Amino acid sequence: MLGLKRSFVLVLATISLFASQFILASERLVVYSGRSDQFVLPVIDAFTKKTGIEVQLHNAKSTALLNKLILEGERTQADLFLSNDSGNLQVGADKGLFLPLPEELVADIPEQYRAPDNSWVGLSSRMRVLVINTGAENVADIDSVFDLADPALKGRLAITHSANGSFIAGTTVYMLAAGEEKTRDWLKGMKANVDGKVFNKHSKVVKAVAAGKADVGLVNHYYIYRHLAKSPDAAIKIVLPDQGKDGIGVAENVAGIAISQYSKKLDAAKAFVAFLVSEQGQKIFAEINREYPVRPGVAAAAEVPPAGSFKVADVPMYKLGTERNRTLDMIEAVGMP
Amino acid sequence: MHSAVRPLAITASLVALLAAIPLVFVAYKSSGLTLTKWGGLWQSRLPELLVNTLSLSVLVAIGSLILGVSAAWLVARRHFRGRRLVSWLLVLPLAIPTYVFAHIYTVITADDGWLGQLWLALFGSSIDIFNLWGSALILTLAGFSYVFLLVRIALMDANRSLEEAARIQGAKPFSVFWHVNLPLIRPAIAAAMAVVVLHTLSDFGAVSMLRFQTFTLSIYLQMSGRLDDEAAAGLSLILVALSLTFMILERFFRSRARYFSNAQSRYQQPRKASKGELLVIWLWLGLICLFAFIIPLLWMLQWTWQAIASGAIDARFWGYTLNSLTVGALAATVAMIVALPVGLFHTRIKSWLSNICLYFSSVGFVLPGPVVALGIISFAIFAVPALYGGLTLLVLALVIRFLPLAVQSQEAAMQQLTPSIEQAGRILGAGSLENLKRVILPMIRGGMASAWVLVFIDAIKELPATLLLRPVGFDTLPVRIWIEASEEMLELAAPAALIIVLATLPAIWLMARSSGNRREHGF
Repeated sequence: MLGLKRSFVLVLATISLFASQFILASERLVVYSGRSDQFVLPVIDAFTKKTGIEVQLHNAKSTALLNKLILEGERTQADLFLSNDSGNLQVGADKGLFLPLPEELVADIPEQYRAPDNSWVGLSSRMRVLVINTGAENVADIDSVFDLADPALKGRLAITHSANGSFIAGTTVYMLAAGEEKTRDWLKGMKANVDGKVFNKHSKVVKAVAAGKADVGLVNHYYIYRHLAKSPDAAIKIVLPDQGKDGIGVAENVAGIAISQYSKKLDAAKAFVAFLVSEQGQKIFAEINREYPVRPGVAAAAEVPPAGSFKVADVPMYKLGTERNRTLDMIEAVGMP
Repeated sequence: MHSAVRPLAITASLVALLAAIPLVFVAYKSSGLTLTKWGGLWQSRLPELLVNTLSLSVLVAIGSLILGVSAAWLVARRHFRGRRLVSWLLVLPLAIPTYVFAHIYTVITADDGWLGQLWLALFGSSIDIFNLWGSALILTLAGFSYVFLLVRIALMDANRSLEEAARIQGAKPFSVFWHVNLPLIRPAIAAAMAVVVLHTLSDFGAVSMLRFQTFTLSIYLQMSGRLDDEAAAGLSLILVALSLTFMILERFFRSRARYFSNAQSRYQQPRKASKGELLVIWLWLGLICLFAFIIPLLWMLQWTWQAIASGAIDARFWGYTLNSLTVGALAATVAMIVALPVGLFHTRIKSWLSNICLYFSSVGFVLPGPVVALGIISFAIFAVPALYGGLTLLVLALVIRFLPLAVQSQEAAMQQLTPSIEQAGRILGAGSLENLKRVILPMIRGGMASAWVLVFIDAIKELPATLLLRPVGFDTLPVRIWIEASEEMLELAAPAALIIVLATLPAIWLMARSSGNRREHGF
């Protein structure tokens, strides 16, 4: 019958093969990571070279990993949780999943990039910016995200769908900095402007603007430079919105890391966090994705506008977690696509 | 209850209990929903989700029926050059995961994709597949092969004398099809429809890529956006109810038609296609093959070539391949074995218990993968913490997800076991175990093999449950496709997709071979 015996032998052989692999894995630091492997591996290589500690990445969507951590409780194999969205980190902190980091470990990182109790620490920051087609007409006076609700942009606006984590985080910042009513009207205006046509990826928003399918898009800043790195002559430019005396500033969001409450390798985990917030770690971690290091004094990639040269919205990052459900309520009430 | 049946009933019930783990999780979680929250769910999304999910299922069912039955009839009833090749090409789309299908089609129908540009030149507008029609098209292309496979086998096995009798009486070909073929292949169509519709109801890959709001996508968004397990569980419960209703209807429809063909049915070479027919065959089947398999294949080959050229295929890649094959083979083998008592119990005895076992064993298939995974995580941590984090749980999840595929195909084979055959065995002094070993198993070999293959194909493509349940550091090919595609690293996603197709080839060959009249089936 289908070589049943043979398949069992095969199965047994492979299981023993895997068993050996997992014994190895248990000696490593396990990082549940919601950030793409390619943007994490370089910093891990540098860390392993320096300390000899091996790190095992376990990649999935941040939110799925968070669900998993919640269900796993003390059975978790994760030593650390790495997420691209500080909202997720704070939600996990509120559920008591993380061990607060010692103050001296993260003292160099500004307070707005950490949990109030240091349950997590930010590592790199991304800016919500406008991408504008250089050949487009009537876009010269667009200098605020709230201009995206202008009916004049009907059919000319490119945004991602509203389940996107960066979209939600950005909306939370606008809600806190500019008020709920203004933000709701903004969503309604954008909803009318896109008329159901939204993109599932930021890279596609940039592509649409570069191809002239849209005049203006709302994206994280590095997507623009990723596109320019591939096609340097693309007809796009970055506009940092909401500057000036009355502007709320650019909305930001940080990627960050937390140590699991149940980690049995605390020393190694702390060493990893220490390396990530060190000058060397910061440089590698942020630069590969053209993000801004959160540690003052470490420069971002050369092509992005230097930190400090523009105004950033004054919203502490943990609010992206504590206020997320309010934002989701608003997005749902508006019926944002 | 007959004493020989009791052990069967007990084993079947145990399997059903195991399969019901995710349902228990869902029921437990949704019990926390207050009436007001149910009301909120109903008002905010249920009507839209119901309409979307049902219209998608209906469209995919119709589309698969048209493509699958027409192709099966042409291949089974006409002889033409390239028939063998076409038989293969029409089954191979099964090897392509729906998220890969959706990804490829979003790329090529985009304004800068070749199909998008062609469309623009011809019709002056962009193609928009981010809607009901796009999702239905993708899921039809990914699923019609089930109809093709089962209907073709039914047509091949159908007694030709009936057709000849009708023709001699002067019936036109279409009339023969309608009055003679169709009633005979109705059980096969029903079984295939069940597989297609259940795949559609539980699909996550295509609808999440195309952002079409069905139950599965909405459940996922509830879980990921708000970490709202209760709302997700409530929606899952409705999805399960929907699917069970559908399955009961399908069973009812199928049970009214059961034909035993007599032992003397003979095989006859299909008629040679005329010139005109040849044109239709080549055009129609060519078109189906083109969109369902050749275009995706070319896309995979192109990007795989780039991956090889850039040296992206290294030892780790082969590790993912080995992981996928192992998990697929383990899940298929276990599912094939545990499906046996459920199928046998239900074929032998029609009772409330055997029905319950059957429906419970189907629950995993219709629940969204992430929900199944979370259910199993909770169960393991609560009941068998020692297993947690290992391969066992992943295999368990895959078995639970795809058990109904195994049960369905084994049951189809068991229906040929007329009670007289077993009675003959018993008269000759065989006990129930010996009867199983010497009479039943050899007779349902084909069904066992297709059970193994169907589960293997789905298990090797499975993404959402694998993503959550795989042991740390244990990446499979779909997991890598997902990780790389989410960063648009196509040169890394494509070779993984290609390997899945290649790995499925022997499995499909095995199934085609074991499904009766081997050579004549054109494989």
